[in-house]
Amino acid sequence: MRGIVEDALEAARLAGASYADARIVDTCHEDISVASGRLESLASNESLGIGVRVIADGCWGFAASRDVTREGAARVAREAVAIARASALAPGPAVLLADVTPVEDSWTGPFEIDPFTVNIEDKLEILLAADEAMRAQSPAIRLTKAEMGFFKVRKWFGSSIGPFIEQQWIESGAGITAYALDGNEVVPRSYPNSHGGAWMQAGWEFVTALDLSGNAPRIAEEAAAILAAPDVEPGECDLIIDGSQVALQVHESIGHPTELDRVLGDEAAFAGTSFLGLGDVGKLKYGSEFVTVTADATLPGSLGSFGYDDEGVPAQRTHLIREGLFEGFMTSRESATVFGTHSNGCMRADGWNRIPLIRMTTVSLEPGTWSLPDLIADTEKGLYVETNNSWSIDDKRLNFQFACEIGWKIENGELAGIVKNPNYTGITPRFWNSCDAVCSEEYWRVWGIPNCGKGEPMQTAHVAHGAAPARFRGVTVGVGR
Amino acid sequence: MTAEETLALAQHAVELTAADEAEALVVDETLALTRFANNHIHQNVAEDDALVSVRAVVGKRVGVASTNRTDEEALKAVCEAAVTAARQSAEDPSFPGLPEAEPVAVASDRYCASTAAFDATARARAVADIIAESSGRDLTAAGTVASSLRTTAVANSKGVGAAMPTSSARATVLAMGEGTAAGSGWASWTGKDSNELDAKGLGAEAADLAARSANPVDLEPGEYRVVLGPEAVGDILQFLAYTGFSAKAYEEGRSFMSRKLGTAIAQENVTILDDALAPHALGLTFDYEGAPKHRVPLVEHGVLIRPVTDSYWAARGGWDNSGHALPAPNSFGPYPLNLEMMPGDATLDELIGDIERGVYVTRFHYVNVEDPMTVLLTGMTRDGTFAIENGRLARPLKNQRFTQSALKALWWTSGVSAERRFVGEETASLVPAIKVEKFAFTGQTV
Repeated sequence: MRGIVEDALEAARLAGASYADARIVDTCHEDISVASGRLESLASNESLGIGVRVIADGCWGFAASRDVTREGAARVAREAVAIARASALAPGPAVLLADVTPVEDSWTGPFEIDPFTVNIEDKLEILLAADEAMRAQSPAIRLTKAEMGFFKVRKWFGSSIGPFIEQQWIESGAGITAYALDGNEVVPRSYPNSHGGAWMQAGWEFVTALDLSGNAPRIAEEAAAILAAPDVEPGECDLIIDGSQVALQVHESIGHPTELDRVLGDEAAFAGTSFLGLGDVGKLKYGSEFVTVTADATLPGSLGSFGYDDEGVPAQRTHLIREGLFEGFMTSRESATVFGTHSNGCMRADGWNRIPLIRMTTVSLEPGTWSLPDLIADTEKGLYVETNNSWSIDDKRLNFQFACEIGWKIENGELAGIVKNPNYTGITPRFWNSCDAVCSEEYWRVWGIPNCGKGEPMQTAHVAHGAAPARFRGVTVGVGR
Repeated sequence: MTAEETLALAQHAVELTAADEAEALVVDETLALTRFANNHIHQNVAEDDALVSVRAVVGKRVGVASTNRTDEEALKAVCEAAVTAARQSAEDPSFPGLPEAEPVAVASDRYCASTAAFDATARARAVADIIAESSGRDLTAAGTVASSLRTTAVANSKGVGAAMPTSSARATVLAMGEGTAAGSGWASWTGKDSNELDAKGLGAEAADLAARSANPVDLEPGEYRVVLGPEAVGDILQFLAYTGFSAKAYEEGRSFMSRKLGTAIAQENVTILDDALAPHALGLTFDYEGAPKHRVPLVEHGVLIRPVTDSYWAARGGWDNSGHALPAPNSFGPYPLNLEMMPGDATLDELIGDIERGVYVTRFHYVNVEDPMTVLLTGMTRDGTFAIENGRLARPLKNQRFTQSALKALWWTSGVSAERRFVGEETASLVPAIKVEKFAFTGQTV
């Protein structure tokens, strides 16, 4: 592959590019899902291609093709230069890139058992057993879903400043959902997370350790209980959020707003901008003293980890928020020049046919000191919610509304019955400033999110968030109920 | 690849698949997108890719494998992988077999040579025209100008064989002012023929809206009479499709249609259908199983009529196959890709003119479902939200959060515009503006 990358870079140079990088990406994907006792999907996919990104006449151009040959690479590089020259018909300031030290290196993500070597029968056995265990639990459980998926990625990167980097990793994920129906309502209950389950950079061992079948009866029982439960009572209350939902809260209201390309307006027409400005660094009180947030691409096994980003910048761990104070953005080589600094290595592309964008790595709310039982016991009147069901946030990442699958009333420091449709709403900095407790490392875990959408054409990034349950005071719940 | 070449490739893949039944889907595509922000092009991309997806059937066992390589070695490998998957998979007693061949009316006007010639230079010139409308008014423009060319073929071992080329082009514009009281405006265009794009007009539409929406004010949460512009109505239709228009959701009892066919859920002025054969429609006239797409009334004069089907869910529910299969494996079920809401007889001014105190919404942002059975949606308004006072658009409003059942919005729809717009991306909908008597705003941005 090195020769093909080098041919692309040379063709770009000859065509007049002042900078070029080339990525070849080879991705294998397997997806299996069982629904209500029926095999619903069993599919594998392979995709191989090359993408070449160039700067010519001070503008960006990118072209990509499935033709991974020396001739194809050179053709794509010349096309990228022609596209960059067309960009100059509506030019902005000439593109500048922060320095990076070129390296020759390789990186491999951690795994024990390659899931692509495991028999389909073994995978189906786990899914069918979990699916059956949910349906056996309650007649209210009329629909069930059990799914697992795997990615194997190999990537070769080179650029005109000299690096050549090869990286490879495996991602595995699985989850189950029980749906209770009564003709008027459908309520889901998922394990270990909604929207496709839990995901890690890991092998088959991660899926077997989830014990889907062992958790299936509890999930089904809770789904049936939610269906019979009253709606959450509208009003303001103290809200304790479980780790998986804290992860999504971090994702939407801290991760995306701290992507510097959004702040600079690059995403304005699609997902929006950010309420943050360049002048907020070191000044804005984003959250309370209990809110410390890091972006970490070095965490072993996380979906947000790598050796180098798609600009050849090494993986890093940086603080976004320290004890409530906003410290900095996630950046790229281009955007970092705004501050005259180096990139903190957050540029990733969704495959060979997409340009890298600033993407979250593992953006985590650092653990606090509380145990969950102590936190509940410390809450006189409130609500404890688990597992995301719905999410929405405005184009500046300020006004959000999330709904969870299940809630429990808290009365006099004790869980006091299930409520359904527990949604809550808030304004980002007010919400994070209302955080007065975060649970300890014992409750902290990394939640993989394999479906983060951004960019046009749409890109789906695999990112992650470390999170533990946390408490927020005076939150509006039960909206529109 | 030409339509003939993609069909030949699909038929060859079917022949290579040693299974009881086999199906191959081949897509050859060239996509390009020029993206601009801050009044200049900042991203500009193009790609060529392909898909060969093979569905193998062994008894009642089904497996699917796909690749983006089209050489003989890769073809043999993907066909073998599909057969291996089928042999190892679990039996589905309900599987009815692959669909039989039916006549397909392949549309000849879905591919435009002008769109194929809409290259990076032409896209950049369109962007420059769009930007000029904002930069001349101290506004900044962001958006996209894009094109896609596809040739799609489906073949199976029962004689299905259909292929056709399609093209589409799209442009979007967000014009924005600067500062905390800035306004923003939106305009979009989607079509088959890039020659029909009026870049200057699109840029002007967004810039006018941005200028008009500056200095927005607060709105108290509550129920209001609203007029939803076509972009917002398009979102509502997409969420109705996502939650309930599929026969899979219907048969599983999780659709608002389940056990309610023949029931009135909206006023008589609400008729929603899916019609891939309509003159304005984008995309294929056959589905991803090669079955002909049929015009399907979904809601007729307020009454629920039927969901859309594919071969599997048609057999499961005793429906006819309406030709709405997505590519296999499809855990989502059949899906309407060419939605349309029929027009009424009012002008937009007449819809607004009837409201003493209400809200006009240009479009929504980041909508999501809180309850699929009532299609309870939450999301924000964006890029042109105005108070309606005494029958006229008045002060611009801050972006509002709504938490509202889409079904109830249809129930309270008291007016439908005669003019419709084609909104969305490659699954664009042809939709009017509507007047809704009760629509719940539950918060706003700051």
